[in-house]
Amino acid sequence: MRAPPAKKPVACRHCGTLVERGPYCCAGCEGAALILEGAGLDAWYDRRTGPASRPQLLDSGWEEVPVAVANGRASARLAIDGLRCASCVWVCERLLQGEPGVVDAHVSYATGRATVGWDPDKTNLRRIAGRVAAVGYQPRPLHVAETPDRDLLMRLGVAVFCLLNLMTLTATLYVGWFQGMSTAWADLFRGATLLLATPVALWSAQPFYFGAVRSLSVGRLHMDLPISLAVGLLYGHGVWATLNHFDGYLDSVAMLVTLLLVGRLLEARGRRAVQDAVTSMASELPTRARRVVDRGVEDIPASQLVEGDLVEVASGGEIPADGVVVSGTSEVGMSLVTGESEPRDVTVGDPVVAGGSVEGPALRVRVTAVGARSLLGRMASALEVSLDRDERTDPLAPWFTGGTLLAAALTAFLWFPAGPAVALERVVAVLVVACPCALSLAHPLTGAAGLAVAARKGLLLRSVDALFRLAEIEAIALDKTGTLTSGTPRVITADDEALRLAAGLERSSDHPVARAIIAEAVRREIPLPSGEDVVEVSGVGIHGMVDGEYWSIRAGPAGTVLVESASVVHTIRLRDTPRDDVVDVVEELNALDLPITVLTGDRAPIAARVAGHLDLPFHAELDPLQKAAWLRSTDRRTLFVGDGLNDTPALAFAHVGLAMGMGASTSVLAADGVVARDGLMPVVAGLRVARAAQAAKRRSLGRSIAYNLVAVGAAMAGLVNPLVAAVLMPISSLLVVYEATRLRRTS
Amino acid sequence: MNAILFLLPLAVAMGGLFAGLFLLAVRDGQFDDLDDPPQRILEDE
Repeated sequence: MRAPPAKKPVACRHCGTLVERGPYCCAGCEGAALILEGAGLDAWYDRRTGPASRPQLLDSGWEEVPVAVANGRASARLAIDGLRCASCVWVCERLLQGEPGVVDAHVSYATGRATVGWDPDKTNLRRIAGRVAAVGYQPRPLHVAETPDRDLLMRLGVAVFCLLNLMTLTATLYVGWFQGMSTAWADLFRGATLLLATPVALWSAQPFYFGAVRSLSVGRLHMDLPISLAVGLLYGHGVWATLNHFDGYLDSVAMLVTLLLVGRLLEARGRRAVQDAVTSMASELPTRARRVVDRGVEDIPASQLVEGDLVEVASGGEIPADGVVVSGTSEVGMSLVTGESEPRDVTVGDPVVAGGSVEGPALRVRVTAVGARSLLGRMASALEVSLDRDERTDPLAPWFTGGTLLAAALTAFLWFPAGPAVALERVVAVLVVACPCALSLAHPLTGAAGLAVAARKGLLLRSVDALFRLAEIEAIALDKTGTLTSGTPRVITADDEALRLAAGLERSSDHPVARAIIAEAVRREIPLPSGEDVVEVSGVGIHGMVDGEYWSIRAGPAGTVLVESASVVHTIRLRDTPRDDVVDVVEELNALDLPITVLTGDRAPIAARVAGHLDLPFHAELDPLQKAAWLRSTDRRTLFVGDGLNDTPALAFAHVGLAMGMGASTSVLAADGVVARDGLMPVVAGLRVARAAQAAKRRSLGRSIAYNLVAVGAAMAGLVNPLVAAVLMPISSLLVVYEATRLRRTS
Repeated sequence: MNAILFLLPLAVAMGGLFAGLFLLAVRDGQFDDLDDPPQRILEDE
């Protein structure tokens, strides 16, 4: 055995890997630097905040990416992985713009998405993507089109324009009441008012009409119904009033529609954050598949697979679609599917899920579900459905509609002796002031604000309902592996020499153990030797030459890895350790007065080691259904945080279930939300946000109910005219907006 | 008072012009991404 070289290691200029000889670790990194220098972008090396990734070959499948072509110009959207800082975004955008034939390129800081437009005669998407890949970023095609909320924004813009002009005109009319105004002038202003209110009532308010029709067709009372009734009736009344030389409530109609559109737009924005997460998950799937046909194996786009196809997945490949293993025995890494880092053994008859990586020998898989029927597709549509606002039950809507109609009928009855014209005026006044503006804004507005704040802190909640249920939580149950602990092994004890040898051999391996060893070697700043003749035998280990000697690595007993040569054996001990922030999280949760219980399938001694260390009560050796049963039997509203397939029943039975990481797709299906950041802190932050949102919503609702009672009473008594309504109406809505804005600001 | 007959349509027309420009800007994608431009300012070329 040779002593480690005394020479000080240098970091690769491009990717930062420590190597014995610089300035680059490999030809790829050197090539990347050449490209950047050639484009005049090497200033990036001084500006970036951290090293880049190593360049990788572009995978195939770029020819099938949907490309929009219009007027001799093609455009497409890409997701770019590996963007770590503002300079990365800058350099990526410049590289794209520098490609001959590219007309425009825009990379978003916020989402890591790129929009590229190019001349299809001069270049193609594959070459454009290759340019980014060549310097170490990983471009992925986005198959799902995203529609920004342009439609709502345009409707809102028109409504705001009309409203502001309307207000100056009606202010003139109101002044005319007090100072006197000739009928001719008043009619002119009324006519102008009607002209401006028309686009608002007939075009801007359309989403509410559609919503009302939908809610009627499914036989459910939705707030859109009273809104549409009020807007339609008031506008009709306004037309009639203008023709008959008196004032209607057109300014109030415009105000109502505008405020409601603001609420709807905010809701749409909040939903988009969750949709973004789903989209990026779907694009993690492999784009190509190897289909087995009579004459052998053909390489086709994964999108062309149909149920019943037989596909071959090579060792190291990714499973392109959900299916059942028909031949072969291997290990499948389900980190994308279950969040578990340890690969699982599969054999003939076992189901596998799209996105799983084959870490052992090759497999043949019979495809059982593709597209919308696959697990990922079902999950994405479940998310979409639950995000759809029609799915949201509005417990107040029936009461509200009933109450308003009753009040209107009572008013008509009471005022009828004074003549039908007077009675109609009173009824319209009741409808104006009773309009459910503030009531229907409180739920989405505070909810959207809460979802946005929670998302910013790393907790993606599926719906506004989930947010408000989170506010009711009284106790917490946590899974151990992957939740309390990080779920990936970390090196606990190893001597430097063992790490150096092992890391040298495993440099190009993607196995979790290899990653743990390399991470530890890099942390200790050990220069990595390069192994020669390295052979990785899936499920067994890895062997090859390092420093002129033959070494092999294989699994040892009880979570150890043995690094052996003919004469020496080194032992590296690895363990799944608690997350770094777990002590703080437990403290924070105690401060929120929430008792914590650990539920785990592990044996009691292992559970005791982790839970006991944190002084938490635990239940060990529970199978997935026992976890769910425990959650069902507890009489407290319990939040369960877990990961992996085995937690799916528990996630479904808990009052609120949160999944760790976007990877665990089945558990995400059952869960109310996803912790999209490392660690448990987002859960704590989410609980705080949910409670604050709940309080804000209650304040808003209380105020608007009080307001409605008073205002409807006044309208029934005949105290409300168009001017009073114009002043009263926005106040309660503005209070709701104020509460939501405060929530956004303070948390 | 006759000035109003002239000023009222003018005011609405001017406002309408800007509303139209806003619609064009939305259609053009000006409001699709509001998070980027403030970051971009920090980048000197």
